[in-house]
Amino acid sequence: MSKIAEVKAKVEAGKTKLVAGLVQEALDEGDKAEDILQAMVDSMGVVGDKFSTGEIFVPEMLIAAKAMAKGVEVLKPLMAGDSASSLGTCVIGTVAGDLHDIGKNLVSMMIESAGFKIVDLGVDVPAQKFVDAVKENDNVTLVACSGLLTTTMPALKEAVQTLKASGLTGFKVIVGGAPVTPEYAVEVGADGYAPDAGSAAVKAKELVTA
Amino acid sequence: MLTKRQNLMETMKGGKPDRFVNQYEFMQMIMSVPITRVRPAIGEEKVNEWGVTFRWPEGQLGGFPVHDEEHILIKDIENWKDYVKAPSVKRPEEDWVPAIEAANAVDRNDQFVTCFVAPGLFEQTHHFMRMENALTAFYEYPDEMHELIDYLVEYELTYAKELIDHIHPDCIFHHDDWGGQISTFLSPKMFEEFFLEPYKKIYGYYKANGVELIVHHSDSYAATLVPYMIEMGIDIWQGVMTSNHTPELIKKYGGKITFMGDLDSGVIDFPAWNSEIIAKEVERACKTCGKLYFIPCLTQGLGISSFPGVYEETSAAIDRMSKELF
Ligand code: B1M
Repeated sequence: MSKIAEVKAKVEAGKTKLVAGLVQEALDEGDKAEDILQAMVDSMGVVGDKFSTGEIFVPEMLIAAKAMAKGVEVLKPLMAGDSASSLGTCVIGTVAGDLHDIGKNLVSMMIESAGFKIVDLGVDVPAQKFVDAVKENDNVTLVACSGLLTTTMPALKEAVQTLKASGLTGFKVIVGGAPVTPEYAVEVGADGYAPDAGSAAVKAKELVTA
Repeated sequence: MLTKRQNLMETMKGGKPDRFVNQYEFMQMIMSVPITRVRPAIGEEKVNEWGVTFRWPEGQLGGFPVHDEEHILIKDIENWKDYVKAPSVKRPEEDWVPAIEAANAVDRNDQFVTCFVAPGLFEQTHHFMRMENALTAFYEYPDEMHELIDYLVEYELTYAKELIDHIHPDCIFHHDDWGGQISTFLSPKMFEEFFLEPYKKIYGYYKANGVELIVHHSDSYAATLVPYMIEMGIDIWQGVMTSNHTPELIKKYGGKITFMGDLDSGVIDFPAWNSEIIAKEVERACKTCGKLYFIPCLTQGLGISSFPGVYEETSAAIDRMSKELF
């Protein structure tokens, strides 16, 4: 197995203690940082798909992301500028009134591993704070709003509509969370919806490259 | 007409119930047990009996554990013993009087005297160190997680002994949420490795000491865990969401375990609720799940609703279905 293939396999398997060493070995053998990174992005894609189909679970996804992060640390000093986040910046948060963050964090990890820079606003985020974050950060291409409570669905709507009415451009809005349906996403005016973290990353990429 | 208790037993045994068991009617919860959980009221922050800080901000639906650097209880799992100290379960005898009186007032031919236990083992692990840390620790620090869970089991057993000695419960209603809406948190294999034996111990202890009925709450997807639930000694899984395909579970496992739920709180219990939605959902649940091994119930983990009137309206709709179908 080539070193790159090994990196890929170990990220998928969540070998947090091995990936950094393997990435270094791959570099030493002459592999390019960009290619190693792409291999890790691909393995997170596989992880996301397996999560979507129920083949793996939250812990497996968390340790795969952690393994990838260890590899990225080794690559960072070698990567020109921000090429590790070539898809732009994603502002993410759980909407006002809602404190759940497990799903949002998984989505954030997957979107990050797909190639976005993440600005995580945390939980209980008022609509205006999403707008401010779009203004305050460079190259925001995506805003991701998560909501887990049926009672905060109106807050989700408000977040999307405030963003859309802000006059700011250059970004798409994606929504999701257990009570959110594709129909609801359309109704509130979001550009995209995803049912889980794996497909959120796929959708995110699709939205900003369209 | 059968008593509530008899009607439940007929439903669980696959006998001849004369109506649907209506939500929580068979349990008489004894909520005055003096070993209480410390919880914040709206606008408050409180450190609970284990040292976990809970905060309930104004305008929010409920409390939440605070997991920033300053407040998180287990700062590193390798040294969990430095952070986790089980609270005492000893209380002066006079503190038990209201609970004992409440238990004595129950007609045990009609209802099960029920003690409520929460949070569960899994929930404690994430309250102590936040969900992400707990979930990765199952992989990265399995020995420490086993030790921590064993420690929680020891605590639960001392707690169980107090309940049994004072209340002699017929039923335990035990919470532990094992999943989200579409998936379990842990893979079935990992769940088995960490939670099967511990729960066998806890539920086995209750059963060996006069408790007839173990009702476990997990309002989530958990269809893949049902074989373990059965092995643990769970008689009724409360909180079964529709995402589990309850009718299929009843076909497959009915007779070994009873399913209580199939009325997703999220769909019924919301600010703009109405009786048509409730009637429609109750009819669907009762007609598709059938009369045996099934208890129509909101998935919420207590006999209440988030929005006033929903629980009662649901009960009335279940009664109407009983009239129609029995
Ligand atoms: C931007 O694009 C996207 C795209 C996809 C997106 C996305 C964004 N965001 C999510 N996704 C999607 O991808 C993710 C990964 O695949 C998925 O995310 P999920 O979040 O769905 O999935 C996670 C991976 C796993 N799922 C979860 O983490 C949620 C699981 C359940 C059990 C749950 C948990 C764990 C918790 N809770 Co809470 N909790 C429940 C949940 C019950 C259930 N059956 O779901 C639910 C959501 N909670 C509820 C409640 C009521 C509450 N909870 C509360 C607290 C808690 C805990 C602290 C105990 C804990 C949260 C820990 C944490 N840090 O988040 C309180 C909330 C306070 C508040 N204001 O928010 C409290 C009020 C409880 C109380 N009475 O104190 C219920 C909501 C009912 C309703 N009306 O909607 C609930 C359904 C349980 C119930 N049946 O009562 C997808 O939805």
